[in-house]
Amino acid sequence: MSKPGMQTKKRLLVLLGAYTFLTFLLIIRVGWIQFVQGSELQRLAYEQQSRSRIISPRRGTIYDRNGIALAVSASVDTISAFPKELQDSGADLEAVAEKLAELLDMSKEEVLAKISKNSPYEYIKRKVEPEVGAKVRAWLQEAKIVGITVDEDTKRYYPKRNLASHVLGCVGTDNQGLEGIEKAMEQYLKGLPGRILSEVDAKGRQIPFNRERHIDPQDGYNVVLTIDETIQYLAEKAIEKAIVDNKVLKGAVAIVMDPNNGEVLAMASKPDFDPNSPFRPLHIDDATWNSMSMEERENAIYSTWRNKALADTYEPGSTFKAITASAGLEEGVITPESRVNDFTVTVGGHRINCWKPNAHGEESFAQGLQMSCNPVFVRVAQDLGIDRFYKYMRAFGFYDKTGIELPEADIIIHKRPTEIDMAVASFGQRFKVTPLHMVTAYCAIANGGTLIRPHLVKEITDNEGNVIKKFEPEIVRQVISKKTSDTMRKLLQDVVTLGTGSRAYVPGYRVAGKTGTSETETSDIDGRYVASFMAFAPADNPRIVVLVALDHPDVYPHTGGIIAAPVAGKLVEDILSYLQEERVYTEKDRKKLAEDVYVPDVRGKTLKEAESILREAGFEYRIEGDATNKDITVKEQTPKPETAIPRKSTIVLYTYKPDENDMVVVPDLLNKTVDEAVAILKGLGLNIKVNGEGRAYRQNYQQGSRIPRGGLVEVFFMDPDEADLE
Amino acid sequence: MATKTTATKKPFDFWIFITILILLSMGIVMLFSASAPAAYTYKNDIYHFLKDQLLFAFVGFIAMFVAMNFHYKKLAKLAPILLVICMVLLILVLVPSIGYEANNARRWLRIGRFTVQPSEMAKLALILFLSSSLSRRKDQLQYFFRGLLPYLVVIGMVAGLIVVEPHLSATIIILIVSSIILFCAGAKIRHFVIMAVPAVAGLGIVVAMNEYMQKRLFSFINPWSDLKGDGWQAVQSLYAIGSGGLFGRGLGKSLQKFLYIPEPYNDFIFSILAEELGFIGVVTVMLLFLVLVWRGVKVAMNAPDTFGCLVAVGITSLITVQVLLNIAVVTSSIPPTGVSLPFFSSGGTSLLFFMTEIGILLNISKYSKYERI
Ligand SMILES: [Zn+2]
Repeated sequence: MSKPGMQTKKRLLVLLGAYTFLTFLLIIRVGWIQFVQGSELQRLAYEQQSRSRIISPRRGTIYDRNGIALAVSASVDTISAFPKELQDSGADLEAVAEKLAELLDMSKEEVLAKISKNSPYEYIKRKVEPEVGAKVRAWLQEAKIVGITVDEDTKRYYPKRNLASHVLGCVGTDNQGLEGIEKAMEQYLKGLPGRILSEVDAKGRQIPFNRERHIDPQDGYNVVLTIDETIQYLAEKAIEKAIVDNKVLKGAVAIVMDPNNGEVLAMASKPDFDPNSPFRPLHIDDATWNSMSMEERENAIYSTWRNKALADTYEPGSTFKAITASAGLEEGVITPESRVNDFTVTVGGHRINCWKPNAHGEESFAQGLQMSCNPVFVRVAQDLGIDRFYKYMRAFGFYDKTGIELPEADIIIHKRPTEIDMAVASFGQRFKVTPLHMVTAYCAIANGGTLIRPHLVKEITDNEGNVIKKFEPEIVRQVISKKTSDTMRKLLQDVVTLGTGSRAYVPGYRVAGKTGTSETETSDIDGRYVASFMAFAPADNPRIVVLVALDHPDVYPHTGGIIAAPVAGKLVEDILSYLQEERVYTEKDRKKLAEDVYVPDVRGKTLKEAESILREAGFEYRIEGDATNKDITVKEQTPKPETAIPRKSTIVLYTYKPDENDMVVVPDLLNKTVDEAVAILKGLGLNIKVNGEGRAYRQNYQQGSRIPRGGLVEVFFMDPDEADLE
Repeated sequence: MATKTTATKKPFDFWIFITILILLSMGIVMLFSASAPAAYTYKNDIYHFLKDQLLFAFVGFIAMFVAMNFHYKKLAKLAPILLVICMVLLILVLVPSIGYEANNARRWLRIGRFTVQPSEMAKLALILFLSSSLSRRKDQLQYFFRGLLPYLVVIGMVAGLIVVEPHLSATIIILIVSSIILFCAGAKIRHFVIMAVPAVAGLGIVVAMNEYMQKRLFSFINPWSDLKGDGWQAVQSLYAIGSGGLFGRGLGKSLQKFLYIPEPYNDFIFSILAEELGFIGVVTVMLLFLVLVWRGVKVAMNAPDTFGCLVAVGITSLITVQVLLNIAVVTSSIPPTGVSLPFFSSGGTSLLFFMTEIGILLNISKYSKYERI
């Protein structure tokens, strides 16, 4: 064997050189990739290696002024799928769909369709209860399923259901505010979302041992409303009842405001919705809903979302006379004692009469307001002149939005008013403002003359209870003097005590107010009226201003004085007694209150005992059944115990259990005088409670109802001319 | 073998031994790191690939020690027989009922639960055969027909059997290593040039006619053009290397091994190394391989005879060429072809043969002579 020669050794060196050269070339190549292209490659790599999931922040709570939660966020779970990953894992899709369908209460086909999709991400079911989420998590772990995740989410709950729904509004599926305060206060409520950054393998599964990076979400701030939950509840119940009693077709509004600081204590609008399921109107039954087209449903949804207190406008009608009166008093063109008359006034060829046929004739201005005589106010406006009259319209804020936190409707008001515009405007017709405008203006009249911006949000707080932001009352301007305000309070109290607002009278609470009835001219329905009543109380030191407006009551009479005033009066009474306002009774109040007595409970007592109790209390009574044996016990009595009845009523005592034969059919009392009605009911063995004077227009039991002998029938009377009151 | 050599028997080359120990240790650690996610996902056992590799490393050490103590000159006589055995095995692999097919290629023979690649053995057998024959007929090499052509025919036959498996990368390696042995044995540069012309032309024609090769070529030029297809591996490999930076993510912390790089324990293990250990790790490993080259060439230089010299250079080149090709592929420096990284990539047969080859190299080193004759 030969030995390696020189040539071989030279070539070996060449080879060594070549290998070394190539090695360094590749080292440079790696360096280029790592240092020159490195950051870009790393970014691209990170894009595929990481998955970021959003953690929704907890949306702030909405509280009423006393800390009662009206809108809260609860933890829920959202189940979603990464269909490709699931399919790649070789899982039995049918079995997965079946199990998920069972756990999530869905159809198997629906789940299967979602997880069979060729998409990177798919929601299976959003916002399920945490217990359900926990069950799914446990199953995923046990069955080693990849490609399905359970993520934390939050869901908005409104524990008081439809209470204050228009104020609160609602949220969408991503918890974003859609309506109301939820939308208006979005920036405070929503918080900042957090993120979970995790590293995943090529199949999208989280890489073991690698830590997830959590960027914690920042919870939203809480909103404390000026709304008082109890007052809101009272307001809603009041108009709900009024809607039923008066067959109101187009809904109703009630607003309660503190005139001293512009805080809205209640804002109720009907029809309403349950913000827990805002897309299903409450007032439509299932059968009707199912028969509706998509478009009809959409319209229905949006109409229930409509906050009539500020998104709708109406003609204020005679309630506006208080503004005309304030302007006239402030400018000195009139005094309460000025002698005026309500004879027909002609403006630009239009004749304007008092609602009362043949008019009231000569009267004081105070009486003109009490009787709501239109010509009186036309003359006041004429004395003011267009410039001054509209200066006050502006001063009271009718040309601006009120500035409340929620979106308001555009008002429809004269841009270049004429004499006739002004004449009809003086009694609140032919222009449209929102109900909230009227309440705000009345607050100025009631509080000493200051127009204050109405507001719904008191403060913003964080979860530790710190106040982040406080919303102080905002004074817009002084509209009338304290003196004029004082005069107006007295005048408007007299409207309730002596005039057309009498049905809003509450013994002891010095209610002031004004009726309003307006025909909506743009209505598609004939005879569509808005019956309203503006009230504030106590008149000498107002704590609340209340508006009740009923849109299109399908009853006769339909005037504000007859159907809205009692609702407003009852509401004022309920609110003030809740606010523990002391009642100050007048002599007349005491006398009137003494007319009513409470029925004592004599059931189970012997006839002898019962007779002596009733006699002592001054009741008349009648015995049905065996009256010879005075030791027999009373089995039943009508009226029932604790009913307030007029002192002169007759109590019926039964010695047996009354049956069908003891029932009486209630007659029709419409248009009967008080005396006639009393006679008819007495004759039937029924008791009567008389409300008002004049002719009967309403009774609490409808004609034909059957009530037990001795039952109390409440009958309402009015001056027949009042039906024409505007 | 009967003739006495002038060389005296000395201890083996310690540099090579130490370098191999370091490389193999690093290789096993990296293999464990790179294979764990895939092992867990597909085999439900993170140690699956590690266990096999440890077994073959152990067997490989035994083989290395046996070879170290087996006088290399005896290999010269065994070479023709080994080559014939290899050719027979390479033919057997192609027989459908015997060869084990995977990924549309028949490269394996099954022995129990293990598979062996005859091509690995063929690489060594061809090195031994060429070295043995050339050490005797070196002077004839200056003649093309009498000298070079017979070798080209033998090389062509072995390469031909492997290319039809198909196993392109093994074929390329055999052609390159054979050429290096011929070059070192003293083949004329002129002959290489003459052979290069038809080879380049032939390659051009093959590429022009083969759509599959064109696709691979295109995906090499712009791997991002076909991210979900052919470019996928190349792009994922670049992501891994690029994520490494100077110091890397840290041992075990690769993200790309989580199934982004398919079979990260095989050909692309270097990318994971670059991601976990960074530029520092890359340079360390490449310098270790360079130490091996340097010592290997030194063993060849100081070999007592031409056979030992050619075997040493052949074995050194076999390892070095694979290292260079592998790193060139994973860095997208050349079109992709499946070359494993010696001592790192998983694969029993190749590790066994690399260790055996190192053993032979160490044995040759024992007979180094320093005086020139
Ligand atoms: Zn009148």
